[in-house]
Amino acid sequence: MIYLNNAATSFPKPSSVRQAVIEAVSSLPPGQYRSTSLRRDLFDDCRKLLGELLGIRDTERIFFSSGATESLNALLYGLAVPSEQIITTVTEHNSVLRPLFNLPSIAGKPVLLPCDPDGVVAPELFEAEAKKGRARAIVLNHCSNVTGAVQDAEAIGRIAKQYGLLFILDVSQSAGCIPVCAERFGADALAFTGHKSLMGIQGTGGYYVKKGIPFKPLLYGGTGRDSERLVYETDYEYEMGTGNTPGIAALLAGVSWVLDRGVSKIQRQEKVLSEYALTLLSELADIRIFGARLSERGPLISFQSVSFSPADLAYILQNSLGIVTRAGLQCAPLIHDCIGSGKQGTLRISFSPFNTKEEIEALQAGLKELTCADGKSSADRKLS
Amino acid sequence: MNIIGRRRSLETCTESGWDAVDFLLDAPLTDEDIECLRQAGGSFLYLKQLKKPFFKIEDHTYVMKGVRGDSFFRFAFHREAASELERIEKLVTGIPI
Repeated sequence: MIYLNNAATSFPKPSSVRQAVIEAVSSLPPGQYRSTSLRRDLFDDCRKLLGELLGIRDTERIFFSSGATESLNALLYGLAVPSEQIITTVTEHNSVLRPLFNLPSIAGKPVLLPCDPDGVVAPELFEAEAKKGRARAIVLNHCSNVTGAVQDAEAIGRIAKQYGLLFILDVSQSAGCIPVCAERFGADALAFTGHKSLMGIQGTGGYYVKKGIPFKPLLYGGTGRDSERLVYETDYEYEMGTGNTPGIAALLAGVSWVLDRGVSKIQRQEKVLSEYALTLLSELADIRIFGARLSERGPLISFQSVSFSPADLAYILQNSLGIVTRAGLQCAPLIHDCIGSGKQGTLRISFSPFNTKEEIEALQAGLKELTCADGKSSADRKLS
Repeated sequence: MNIIGRRRSLETCTESGWDAVDFLLDAPLTDEDIECLRQAGGSFLYLKQLKKPFFKIEDHTYVMKGVRGDSFFRFAFHREAASELERIEKLVTGIPI
Protein backbone atom coordinates (compact mmCIF):
# COMPACT_ATOMS: atom_id res chain seq x y z
CA MET A 1 0.00 0.00 0.00
CA ILE A 2 1.28 3.48 -0.87
CA TYR A 3 0.11 6.14 1.56
CA LEU A 4 -0.35 9.64 0.12
CA ASN A 5 -2.78 11.04 2.66
CA ASN A 6 -0.38 12.61 5.13
CA ALA A 7 -2.26 15.91 5.21
CA ALA A 8 -5.06 14.01 6.95
CA THR A 9 -2.90 11.91 9.27
CA SER A 10 0.78 11.19 8.78
CA PHE A 11 1.78 7.57 8.34
CA PRO A 12 4.01 5.82 9.14
CA LYS A 13 5.24 7.36 12.36
CA PRO A 14 8.91 7.46 13.37
CA SER A 15 9.90 4.41 15.40
CA SER A 16 10.59 6.69 18.39
CA VAL A 17 6.91 7.70 18.40
CA ARG A 18 5.73 4.11 18.40
CA GLN A 19 8.19 3.35 21.20
CA ALA A 20 7.04 6.34 23.25
CA VAL A 21 3.43 5.14 23.14
CA ILE A 22 4.42 1.63 24.21
CA GLU A 23 6.49 3.02 27.10
CA ALA A 24 3.69 5.37 28.19
CA VAL A 25 1.05 2.67 28.32
CA SER A 26 3.49 0.26 29.98
CA SER A 27 4.38 2.64 32.82
CA LEU A 28 2.52 3.42 36.02
CA PRO A 29 0.28 6.44 35.47
CA PRO A 30 1.55 9.64 37.08
CA GLY A 31 -0.06 9.90 40.54
CA GLN A 32 -0.58 12.37 43.32
CA TYR A 33 1.12 10.34 46.04
CA ARG A 34 4.16 9.15 44.15
CA SER A 35 7.29 11.24 43.93
CA THR A 36 7.72 12.53 40.42
CA SER A 37 11.05 14.16 41.12
CA LEU A 38 12.96 11.60 39.09
CA ARG A 39 10.34 11.33 36.41
CA ARG A 40 10.33 13.52 33.34
CA ASP A 41 7.29 15.70 33.08
CA LEU A 42 6.24 14.72 29.59
CA PHE A 43 3.71 17.52 29.34
CA ASP A 44 6.12 20.32 30.22
CA ASP A 45 8.89 18.78 28.14
CA CYS A 46 6.49 18.69 25.22
CA ARG A 47 5.50 22.32 25.78
CA LYS A 48 9.17 23.33 25.70
CA LEU A 49 9.84 21.54 22.44
CA LEU A 50 6.65 22.92 20.89
CA GLY A 51 7.77 26.38 21.95
CA GLU A 52 11.08 25.83 20.19
CA LEU A 53 9.33 24.56 17.07
CA LEU A 54 6.59 27.17 16.89
CA GLY A 55 8.53 30.22 18.09
CA ILE A 56 6.79 30.59 21.45
CA ARG A 57 8.92 31.63 24.43
CA ASP A 58 6.16 31.62 27.02
CA THR A 59 5.59 27.87 26.82
CA GLU A 60 3.38 27.85 29.92
CA ARG A 61 0.77 29.39 27.66
CA ILE A 62 0.67 26.28 25.46
CA PHE A 63 -2.28 24.07 26.39
CA PHE A 64 -3.01 20.56 25.20
CA SER A 65 -6.24 19.41 23.63
CA SER A 66 -7.59 16.56 21.54
CA GLY A 67 -6.52 18.29 18.33
CA ALA A 68 -6.94 21.38 16.21
CA THR A 69 -10.73 21.19 16.19
CA GLU A 70 -11.01 21.35 19.96
CA SER A 71 -8.25 23.96 20.04
CA LEU A 72 -10.04 26.24 17.60
CA ASN A 73 -13.35 25.80 19.39
CA ALA A 74 -11.63 26.65 22.68
CA LEU A 75 -9.93 29.70 21.19
CA LEU A 76 -12.98 31.06 19.41
CA TYR A 77 -15.19 30.51 22.44
CA GLY A 78 -12.67 31.75 24.98
CA LEU A 79 -11.60 34.87 23.12
CA ALA A 80 -15.30 35.68 22.78
CA VAL A 81 -15.19 37.80 19.65
CA PRO A 82 -18.56 37.67 17.86
CA SER A 83 -18.25 36.07 14.43
CA GLU A 84 -19.49 39.25 12.73
CA GLN A 85 -16.37 40.97 14.03
CA ILE A 86 -13.98 38.33 12.71
CA ILE A 87 -12.16 38.52 9.39
CA THR A 88 -11.34 35.11 8.00
CA THR A 89 -10.96 33.45 4.62
CA VAL A 90 -12.65 30.97 2.32
CA THR A 91 -9.60 28.72 2.69
CA GLU A 92 -10.49 27.82 6.27
CA HIS A 93 -11.21 24.30 7.40
CA ASN A 94 -14.57 23.45 8.95
CA SER A 95 -12.79 23.37 12.31
CA VAL A 96 -12.90 27.16 12.03
CA LEU A 97 -15.97 27.73 9.87
CA ARG A 98 -18.40 25.57 11.80
CA PRO A 99 -17.55 27.07 15.22
CA LEU A 100 -17.87 30.56 13.73
CA PHE A 101 -21.33 29.77 12.40
CA ASN A 102 -22.53 27.64 15.34
CA LEU A 103 -20.63 28.16 18.57
CA PRO A 104 -22.96 29.49 21.27
CA SER A 105 -22.23 33.07 22.27
CA ILE A 106 -20.31 34.01 19.10
CA ALA A 107 -22.25 32.39 16.23
CA GLY A 108 -22.83 34.57 13.22
CA LYS A 109 -21.50 35.33 9.78
CA PRO A 110 -17.84 36.31 9.69
CA VAL A 111 -16.24 38.40 6.97
CA LEU A 112 -14.99 35.82 4.46
CA LEU A 113 -12.13 36.98 2.25
CA PRO A 114 -11.76 35.27 -1.13
CA CYS A 115 -8.62 33.61 -2.42
CA ASP A 116 -7.12 33.52 -5.89
CA PRO A 117 -7.33 30.35 -8.04
CA ASP A 118 -4.24 28.95 -6.31
CA GLY A 119 -5.68 29.45 -2.84
CA VAL A 120 -3.69 32.55 -1.87
CA VAL A 121 -5.40 35.35 0.06
CA ALA A 122 -3.85 38.75 -0.60
CA PRO A 123 -2.82 40.56 2.61
CA GLU A 124 -4.25 43.76 1.11
CA LEU A 125 -7.72 42.27 1.47
CA PHE A 126 -7.22 41.99 5.23
CA GLU A 127 -6.05 45.58 5.40
CA ALA A 128 -9.01 46.86 3.38
CA GLU A 129 -11.41 45.09 5.73
CA ALA A 130 -9.51 46.11 8.88
CA LYS A 131 -9.67 49.76 7.79
CA LYS A 132 -13.45 49.67 8.01
CA GLY A 133 -13.03 49.51 11.78
CA ARG A 134 -15.67 46.87 12.44
CA ALA A 135 -13.43 43.85 13.03
CA ARG A 136 -11.80 42.76 16.27
CA ALA A 137 -9.96 39.64 15.13
CA ILE A 138 -8.41 37.81 12.19
CA VAL A 139 -8.52 34.02 11.92
CA LEU A 140 -6.13 32.62 9.32
CA ASN A 141 -5.35 29.15 8.00
CA HIS A 142 -1.57 29.30 7.52
CA CYS A 143 -1.45 26.53 4.92
CA SER A 144 -4.43 25.44 2.84
CA ASN A 145 -5.21 21.76 3.14
CA VAL A 146 -6.74 21.94 -0.35
CA THR A 147 -4.15 23.65 -2.55
CA GLY A 148 -1.17 23.82 -0.20
CA ALA A 149 -1.03 27.62 -0.50
CA VAL A 150 0.97 29.16 2.34
CA GLN A 151 -0.42 32.52 3.41
CA ASP A 152 1.84 35.43 4.28
CA ALA A 153 1.24 35.15 8.02
CA GLU A 154 3.90 37.71 8.85
CA ALA A 155 2.34 40.41 6.67
CA ILE A 156 -1.16 39.62 7.89
CA GLY A 157 0.07 39.61 11.49
CA ARG A 158 1.50 43.10 10.94
CA ILE A 159 -1.86 44.29 9.65
CA ALA A 160 -3.57 42.79 12.70
CA LYS A 161 -1.19 44.61 15.00
CA GLN A 162 -1.50 47.90 13.10
CA TYR A 163 -5.29 47.87 13.45
CA GLY A 164 -5.39 46.41 16.95
CA LEU A 165 -6.95 43.09 15.95
CA LEU A 166 -6.41 39.74 17.61
CA PHE A 167 -4.53 37.41 15.29
CA ILE A 168 -5.50 33.73 15.56
CA LEU A 169 -3.42 31.42 13.40
CA ASP A 170 -4.28 27.83 12.47
CA VAL A 171 -1.04 25.95 11.82
CA SER A 172 -2.57 22.49 11.52
CA GLN A 173 -1.10 21.92 8.07
CA SER A 174 2.14 23.84 8.49
CA ALA A 175 3.50 22.94 11.93
CA GLY A 176 6.38 20.54 11.43
CA CYS A 177 6.80 20.99 7.69
CA ILE A 178 6.89 24.76 7.17
CA PRO A 179 8.70 27.21 9.48
CA VAL A 180 6.28 28.70 12.00
CA CYS A 181 7.20 31.46 14.45
CA ALA A 182 4.25 32.70 16.46
CA GLU A 183 6.20 35.64 17.83
CA ARG A 184 7.57 36.77 14.46
CA PHE A 185 4.14 36.36 12.89
CA GLY A 186 2.64 38.41 15.71
CA ALA A 187 0.13 35.65 16.52
CA ASP A 188 -1.91 36.25 19.65
CA ALA A 189 -3.19 32.71 19.53
CA LEU A 190 -2.28 29.64 17.58
CA ALA A 191 -3.86 26.20 17.10
CA PHE A 192 -2.04 23.02 16.12
CA THR A 193 -2.71 19.34 15.79
CA GLY A 194 -0.39 16.51 16.70
CA HIS A 195 -1.19 13.83 14.16
CA LYS A 196 -0.05 15.45 10.92
CA SER A 197 3.49 16.78 10.37
CA LEU A 198 4.27 16.79 14.10
CA MET A 199 4.25 12.99 13.75
CA GLY A 200 2.17 12.43 16.89
CA ILE A 201 -0.92 10.28 17.09
CA GLN A 202 -4.60 11.06 16.61
CA GLY A 203 -6.33 12.78 19.50
CA THR A 204 -3.49 15.16 20.32
CA GLY A 205 -2.93 18.83 19.68
CA GLY A 206 -3.13 22.11 21.47
CA TYR A 207 -3.18 25.86 21.38
CA TYR A 208 -1.28 28.90 22.53
CA VAL A 209 -2.75 32.10 23.85
CA LYS A 210 -0.56 35.06 24.61
CA LYS A 211 -0.51 36.03 28.27
CA GLY A 212 -2.67 39.00 29.18
CA ILE A 213 -5.36 38.39 26.58
CA PRO A 214 -8.74 37.76 28.27
CA PHE A 215 -9.53 34.13 27.63
CA LYS A 216 -12.17 31.93 29.23
CA PRO A 217 -11.92 28.15 29.13
CA LEU A 218 -14.36 26.13 27.05
CA LEU A 219 -14.33 23.28 29.58
CA TYR A 220 -14.15 23.03 33.35
CA GLY A 221 -13.30 20.09 35.58
CA GLY A 222 -10.79 18.51 37.88
CA THR A 223 -7.26 19.80 37.60
CA GLY A 224 -5.73 18.18 40.68
CA ARG A 225 -5.24 21.63 42.24
CA ASP A 226 -7.29 23.86 44.52
CA SER A 227 -10.16 21.40 44.49
CA GLU A 228 -12.31 23.36 46.94
CA ARG A 229 -12.77 26.14 44.43
CA LEU A 230 -15.98 25.76 42.43
CA VAL A 231 -16.28 29.16 40.77
CA TYR A 232 -13.66 30.85 38.65
CA GLU A 233 -13.70 34.58 38.08
CA THR A 234 -10.13 35.03 36.95
CA ASP A 235 -7.01 32.90 37.06
CA TYR A 236 -8.59 30.24 34.87
CA GLU A 237 -7.17 26.79 34.28
CA TYR A 238 -7.19 25.40 30.76
CA GLU A 239 -6.27 21.74 31.08
CA MET A 240 -8.68 19.63 33.06
CA GLY A 241 -9.43 15.94 33.44
CA THR A 242 -6.85 13.19 33.18
CA GLY A 243 -4.25 14.11 30.62
CA ASN A 244 -3.58 12.03 27.52
CA THR A 245 -0.20 10.76 28.66
CA PRO A 246 0.34 8.26 25.80
CA GLY A 247 -0.69 10.91 23.29
CA ILE A 248 1.59 13.56 24.75
CA ALA A 249 4.44 11.05 24.96
CA ALA A 250 3.93 10.40 21.25
CA LEU A 251 3.72 14.11 20.50
CA LEU A 252 6.90 14.76 22.46
CA ALA A 253 8.69 12.05 20.49
CA GLY A 254 7.25 13.35 17.22
CA VAL A 255 8.21 16.97 17.82
CA SER A 256 11.63 15.82 18.98
CA TRP A 257 12.01 13.86 15.72
CA VAL A 258 11.00 16.93 13.71
CA LEU A 259 13.45 19.18 15.57
CA ASP A 260 16.28 16.67 15.25
CA ARG A 261 15.70 16.43 11.52
CA GLY A 262 15.01 20.16 11.15
CA VAL A 263 11.91 21.79 9.68
CA SER A 264 13.93 23.31 6.84
CA LYS A 265 15.31 19.93 5.85
CA ILE A 266 11.85 18.35 6.00
CA GLN A 267 10.49 21.22 3.92
CA ARG A 268 13.22 20.75 1.30
CA GLN A 269 12.68 17.00 1.19
CA GLU A 270 8.93 17.37 0.77
CA LYS A 271 9.40 20.13 -1.81
CA VAL A 272 11.42 17.71 -3.93
CA LEU A 273 8.57 15.20 -3.72
CA SER A 274 5.90 17.82 -4.50
CA GLU A 275 7.79 19.19 -7.49
CA TYR A 276 8.41 15.71 -8.82
CA ALA A 277 4.72 14.89 -8.45
CA LEU A 278 3.75 18.15 -10.18
CA THR A 279 6.04 17.28 -13.08
CA LEU A 280 4.68 13.76 -13.46
CA LEU A 281 1.05 14.82 -13.06
CA SER A 282 1.42 17.61 -15.60
CA GLU A 283 2.45 14.99 -18.18
CA LEU A 284 -1.04 13.52 -17.97
CA ALA A 285 -3.52 15.19 -20.30
CA ASP A 286 -6.42 13.95 -18.16
CA ILE A 287 -5.29 15.80 -15.03
CA ARG A 288 -6.01 19.37 -13.97
CA ILE A 289 -3.91 20.59 -11.05
CA PHE A 290 -5.03 23.25 -8.56
CA GLY A 291 -2.38 25.59 -7.24
CA ALA A 292 0.16 24.54 -9.86
CA ARG A 293 1.66 28.05 -9.95
CA LEU A 294 2.33 28.37 -6.23
CA SER A 295 5.85 29.46 -5.38
CA GLU A 296 5.52 28.25 -1.80
CA ARG A 297 3.35 25.27 -0.95
CA GLY A 298 2.75 22.78 1.79
CA PRO A 299 3.48 19.15 0.93
CA LEU A 300 0.25 18.44 -0.91
CA ILE A 301 -1.29 18.66 -4.36
CA SER A 302 -4.95 18.73 -5.36
CA PHE A 303 -6.16 17.78 -8.79
CA GLN A 304 -9.13 16.58 -10.79
CA SER A 305 -9.40 14.06 -13.59
CA VAL A 306 -11.38 14.84 -16.72
CA SER A 307 -12.74 11.30 -16.78
CA PHE A 308 -13.38 10.37 -13.16
CA SER A 309 -14.92 12.13 -10.21
CA PRO A 310 -12.49 12.65 -7.32
CA ALA A 311 -14.46 10.14 -5.24
CA ASP A 312 -14.30 7.46 -7.94
CA LEU A 313 -10.64 8.11 -8.63
CA ALA A 314 -9.75 7.83 -4.95
CA TYR A 315 -11.76 4.63 -4.69
CA ILE A 316 -10.06 3.06 -7.70
CA LEU A 317 -6.60 4.20 -6.59
CA GLN A 318 -7.07 2.74 -3.15
CA ASN A 319 -8.97 -0.45 -3.87
CA SER A 320 -7.65 -1.40 -7.30
CA LEU A 321 -4.14 0.03 -7.20
CA GLY A 322 -3.28 0.24 -3.50
CA ILE A 323 -2.67 4.00 -3.35
CA VAL A 324 -4.32 5.90 -0.50
CA THR A 325 -5.37 9.48 -1.29
CA ARG A 326 -8.22 11.74 -0.19
CA ALA A 327 -11.17 12.95 -2.24
CA GLY A 328 -13.87 15.55 -1.87
CA LEU A 329 -14.18 18.98 -0.35
CA GLN A 330 -11.39 18.20 2.13
CA CYS A 331 -13.52 19.71 4.95
CA ALA A 332 -12.89 23.15 3.47
CA PRO A 333 -16.16 23.79 1.63
CA LEU A 334 -15.77 27.45 0.73
CA ILE A 335 -12.48 27.42 -1.16
CA HIS A 336 -13.78 25.36 -4.06
CA ASP A 337 -15.79 28.14 -5.67
CA CYS A 338 -12.72 30.35 -5.72
CA ILE A 339 -10.33 27.78 -7.17
CA GLY A 340 -12.89 26.36 -9.59
CA SER A 341 -13.06 22.80 -8.29
CA GLY A 342 -16.83 22.81 -7.86
CA LYS A 343 -19.03 20.63 -5.72
CA GLN A 344 -17.06 17.44 -6.22
CA GLY A 345 -13.93 18.96 -4.76
CA THR A 346 -10.54 17.51 -5.55
CA LEU A 347 -8.41 14.47 -5.23
CA ARG A 348 -5.53 15.28 -2.91
CA ILE A 349 -2.16 13.63 -2.53
CA SER A 350 0.04 14.64 0.37
CA PHE A 351 3.51 13.68 1.45
CA SER A 352 5.64 13.01 4.49
CA PRO A 353 9.40 12.57 4.67
CA PHE A 354 8.79 8.82 4.45
CA ASN A 355 7.44 9.00 0.90
CA THR A 356 9.66 8.29 -2.07
CA LYS A 357 9.89 9.29 -5.71
CA GLU A 358 9.16 5.68 -6.62
CA GLU A 359 5.77 5.97 -4.93
CA ILE A 360 4.97 9.05 -7.00
CA GLU A 361 6.01 7.17 -10.12
CA ALA A 362 3.62 4.38 -9.10
CA LEU A 363 0.83 6.96 -8.76
CA GLN A 364 1.57 8.30 -12.23
CA ALA A 365 1.62 4.77 -13.63
CA GLY A 366 -1.72 4.07 -11.96
CA LEU A 367 -3.27 7.22 -13.36
CA LYS A 368 -1.86 6.36 -16.80
CA GLU A 369 -3.45 2.95 -16.54
CA LEU A 370 -6.76 4.70 -16.08
CA THR A 371 -6.28 7.23 -18.80
CA CYS A 372 -5.20 6.90 -22.38
CA ALA A 373 -2.29 8.80 -23.87
CA ASP A 374 -4.67 10.86 -26.00
CA GLY A 375 -6.41 12.12 -22.88
CA LYS A 376 -9.43 9.86 -23.28
CA SER A 377 -10.16 7.76 -20.29
CA SER A 378 -10.61 4.06 -20.24
CA ALA A 379 -13.94 5.01 -18.71
CA ASP A 380 -15.02 5.86 -22.23
CA ARG A 381 -14.66 2.20 -23.06
CA LYS A 382 -17.59 0.97 -21.07
CA LEU A 383 -17.98 -2.76 -21.07
CA SER A 384 -21.50 -3.89 -20.71
CA MET B 1 -23.24 -13.25 -2.20
CA ASN B 2 -24.58 -12.45 1.24
CA ILE B 3 -24.38 -9.27 3.26
CA ILE B 4 -22.82 -9.85 6.67
CA GLY B 5 -22.77 -6.24 7.77
CA ARG B 6 -22.93 -2.56 6.94
CA ARG B 7 -20.21 -0.08 7.74
CA ARG B 8 -20.86 3.63 7.48
CA SER B 9 -18.36 5.07 5.04
CA LEU B 10 -16.37 8.10 6.08
CA GLU B 11 -15.67 8.95 2.48
CA THR B 12 -16.24 12.49 1.41
CA CYS B 13 -19.38 11.97 -0.65
CA THR B 14 -21.06 12.72 2.65
CA GLU B 15 -19.91 16.30 2.27
CA SER B 16 -22.11 16.95 -0.73
CA GLY B 17 -25.46 15.82 0.62
CA TRP B 18 -24.80 12.13 0.12
CA ASP B 19 -24.34 9.34 2.62
CA ALA B 20 -22.54 6.10 1.99
CA VAL B 21 -22.21 2.67 3.50
CA ASP B 22 -19.94 -0.21 2.68
CA PHE B 23 -21.84 -3.48 2.37
CA LEU B 24 -19.66 -6.21 3.87
CA LEU B 25 -19.98 -9.54 2.07
CA ASP B 26 -19.37 -13.14 3.01
CA ALA B 27 -17.18 -13.76 -0.04
CA PRO B 28 -15.17 -11.84 -2.64
CA LEU B 29 -17.19 -10.21 -5.42
CA THR B 30 -17.33 -12.14 -8.68
CA ASP B 31 -18.44 -11.13 -12.17
CA GLU B 32 -21.72 -12.88 -11.47
CA ASP B 33 -22.24 -10.80 -8.34
CA ILE B 34 -21.57 -7.63 -10.28
CA GLU B 35 -24.09 -8.71 -12.91
CA CYS B 36 -26.58 -9.23 -10.08
CA LEU B 37 -25.99 -5.70 -8.80
CA ARG B 38 -26.57 -4.33 -12.31
CA GLN B 39 -30.20 -5.36 -11.97
CA ALA B 40 -30.65 -2.41 -9.65
CA GLY B 41 -30.58 -0.24 -12.76
CA GLY B 42 -28.58 2.74 -13.87
CA SER B 43 -25.50 3.29 -15.99
CA PHE B 44 -22.76 0.71 -15.77
CA LEU B 45 -19.02 1.21 -15.90
CA TYR B 46 -16.63 -1.72 -15.70
CA LEU B 47 -12.89 -1.25 -15.97
CA LYS B 48 -12.01 -4.84 -16.67
CA GLN B 49 -8.48 -4.07 -17.79
CA LEU B 50 -7.34 -3.21 -14.26
CA LYS B 51 -5.59 -5.94 -12.30
CA LYS B 52 -8.39 -5.52 -9.78
CA PRO B 53 -11.34 -4.54 -12.00
CA PHE B 54 -13.48 -1.62 -10.85
CA PHE B 55 -17.20 -1.30 -11.42
CA LYS B 56 -19.70 1.47 -10.90
CA ILE B 57 -23.48 1.44 -11.22
CA GLU B 58 -25.02 4.87 -11.07
CA ASP B 59 -28.52 6.23 -11.00
CA HIS B 60 -29.89 9.64 -10.06
CA THR B 61 -30.16 8.85 -6.38
CA TYR B 62 -27.45 6.27 -5.79
CA VAL B 63 -24.03 5.03 -6.79
CA MET B 64 -22.67 1.54 -6.23
CA LYS B 65 -18.99 0.93 -6.71
CA GLY B 66 -16.55 -1.77 -5.92
CA VAL B 67 -13.70 -3.92 -7.05
CA ARG B 68 -13.96 -7.52 -8.21
CA GLY B 69 -12.30 -9.70 -5.60
CA ASP B 70 -13.06 -7.41 -2.64
CA SER B 71 -15.44 -8.59 0.05
CA PHE B 72 -17.29 -5.29 0.15
CA PHE B 73 -18.78 -2.66 -2.13
CA ARG B 74 -19.77 0.91 -1.48
CA PHE B 75 -23.30 2.20 -1.76
CA ALA B 76 -23.66 5.97 -1.78
CA PHE B 77 -27.11 7.46 -1.82
CA HIS B 78 -28.72 10.83 -1.68
CA ARG B 79 -30.01 11.54 1.81
CA GLU B 80 -33.52 11.83 0.43
CA ALA B 81 -33.29 8.32 -1.04
CA ALA B 82 -32.32 6.31 2.01
CA SER B 83 -34.97 3.70 1.14
CA GLU B 84 -32.70 2.57 -1.69
CA LEU B 85 -30.50 0.96 0.95
CA GLU B 86 -33.12 -1.67 1.72
CA ARG B 87 -33.86 -2.24 -1.95
CA ILE B 88 -30.21 -2.97 -2.67
CA GLU B 89 -29.92 -5.19 0.36
CA LYS B 90 -32.88 -7.24 -0.88
CA LEU B 91 -31.36 -7.43 -4.33
CA VAL B 92 -28.07 -8.76 -2.99
CA THR B 93 -29.69 -11.32 -0.76
CA GLY B 94 -31.98 -12.58 -3.54
CA ILE B 95 -35.24 -11.27 -2.12
CA PRO B 96 -37.58 -10.14 -4.93
CA ILE B 97 -37.70 -6.35 -5.21
